[in-house]
Amino acid sequence: MMTRLMTATAVLALATPALADTAERRIALSNNYAGNSWRQAMLESWEKVTGQAVADGVVAEAPAFTTAENQATEQAAQIQNMILEGYDAIVVNAASPTALNGAVKEACDAGIVVVSFDGIVTEPCAYRIAVDFQEMGRKQVEYLSGRLPEGGNLLEIRGLAGVFVDDEISAGIHAGVEQFPQFSIAGSVHGDWAQDVAQRAVAGILPSLPDDIVGVVTQGGDGYGAAQAFAAAGREMPIIVMGNRQDELLWWKEQRDASGYETMSVSIAPGVSTLAFWVAQQVLDGQTVPQDLIVPFLEIQQDGLDAALEATPEGGVANVEYSLEDAQAVIAGASN
Amino acid sequence: MMATTWTRPWFWAFAAAALAFAATVVLTGVQGAGGLLVAALTFASFSVLVGLGQMAVITMGPGNVDLSIPAVMTLAGTLSLKLMGGAAGTELWGLLAALGIGLGAGVANYALIWLLRIPPIIATLSASFVFQSVAIWSNRGLRIKPPVSLAEFSTGSTLGVPNAAWIGLAAALVFWMLIERTAYGRRLSAIGQNARAARLAGVPVEGVRAATYVLSAVMAALAGFLLSCFSGGAALNMGAEYLLMSIAVVVIGGSSIAGGNSNVPGIWGAALFMFLIVSMLNSYGLGAGVRLILTGVIIVAIVVAASGRRLTP
Repeated sequence: MMTRLMTATAVLALATPALADTAERRIALSNNYAGNSWRQAMLESWEKVTGQAVADGVVAEAPAFTTAENQATEQAAQIQNMILEGYDAIVVNAASPTALNGAVKEACDAGIVVVSFDGIVTEPCAYRIAVDFQEMGRKQVEYLSGRLPEGGNLLEIRGLAGVFVDDEISAGIHAGVEQFPQFSIAGSVHGDWAQDVAQRAVAGILPSLPDDIVGVVTQGGDGYGAAQAFAAAGREMPIIVMGNRQDELLWWKEQRDASGYETMSVSIAPGVSTLAFWVAQQVLDGQTVPQDLIVPFLEIQQDGLDAALEATPEGGVANVEYSLEDAQAVIAGASN
Repeated sequence: MMATTWTRPWFWAFAAAALAFAATVVLTGVQGAGGLLVAALTFASFSVLVGLGQMAVITMGPGNVDLSIPAVMTLAGTLSLKLMGGAAGTELWGLLAALGIGLGAGVANYALIWLLRIPPIIATLSASFVFQSVAIWSNRGLRIKPPVSLAEFSTGSTLGVPNAAWIGLAAALVFWMLIERTAYGRRLSAIGQNARAARLAGVPVEGVRAATYVLSAVMAALAGFLLSCFSGGAALNMGAEYLLMSIAVVVIGGSSIAGGNSNVPGIWGAALFMFLIVSMLNSYGLGAGVRLILTGVIIVAIVVAASGRRLTP
């Protein structure tokens, strides 16, 4: 009897390697904001992947919670509630890199695994799945240097003033301009990562810019608005780096079909929430995971445009959902 | 004539807008002036639409402000574009749906204020959570394109003036008639000057309040509809800019923040100024920090100048 049970367990363990240990574990998502399409896609990816994981018996449950007001104090209270409710791991997209550290430390002290992603926390006991925002900015200028070896004037569209991400991407762009000094930034506006705000800001600065703007470097969610503003002003269309939104990709395809327009698109896939889920699962499973991991970019090049556009829901954002194997690859990459 | 123009409360908003325009044109040269003016007229018109509604609400005196404007814009834009689904021949239904949503939102706001006796600030703020949640729930942030005809209309021009600006001008004209030439306008000012005196004089205070909150929500819905057609789709955060904007254009435009005194032309002057000041500071290449500080300082200066002039008849 005993032997037969052990055999059954051994067979099960073979079928789902390294999963059985977390079947009773509960993982919660603490999210600070849901008011844009990227965050909505992020939550949908979480639901989809964790729903499947729960059905497969990988974890017991994995609910998502979003705060109403995008306030650090509110999210700290939310994390404290999660501690009281006895979750085994908390995956967090944080409202602030530092303001949640107290609550995160409490969770760690209670033996809870904390994995932060996108909006990371600096508390050393938490795991961080960070985006290399500087590289995201630098890469755009590098791409433009390949397309336009002789250089020229660039327009920079920034995000929301005062937010850490905006400073980081912008620093990367400026580092890129230093690396490729044939480029210079002729003007800079804040587009708040929103097409309508970017459109307004670009329309306002265009009259004062020289006629030979060759490229527009962006932060995501602002490329389509910039294109609209250039078109409305009757200007020659520069190379606008896109940010993976479906309306941007669609516009790019229309321009490509009409006039052979070429550009690139780069952003972070909202499905990064699922990468964080698997990392939390791996930590609970007793695997050795480095505290600091880097999220891969989701880049779309000219030849991948049609496939990317087809896979992106209308009005949404290009996305990838990560699997356990992807998470293991990211962990292995960081461990070396 | 000059002396009277000079003392009008709206004078300072237009003067500031003209100065910001001139300062930018110095940099861009004359060839940039036309483009800048068209852009200013276009983008100011969205601020005008929400500003007019907010002005009517603020005119009713202390405590009256509509904080649900961003959420109503988002909800009206999202639902009406979803209803039209980008198909031709649905434009009228889309517009009616947007206005209907504004009507419903205004009624909901006023119901909270009147039935539950909640102060307007709290009522409109809490209602805006509901509106925003319905917008999220209905479409999860997907951007649906407007019908081509509406996209072309909202970005196009007639007689050299952007269509959006024509709508803003028409709305301003209607509001001017309403405020200056109708019993409703007189009652609105009476309530703002002294609600108790107005009630004793036989003004139907609650009726006017209800109409005003509905008016503000309908204007926000119209702005949301127009903006989402203009920018190629509704976004969940599209209204965020317009809460402070709607209040700023009222104050800069020379209306009294304490109520009882509204000023329609000033809304246009202030909306043009709010666009041109950002363009000017962007064009001079100033950083975001300096830009925000200067914007704040200049707004305070205009409000002081406008109110100072009004004290000396």
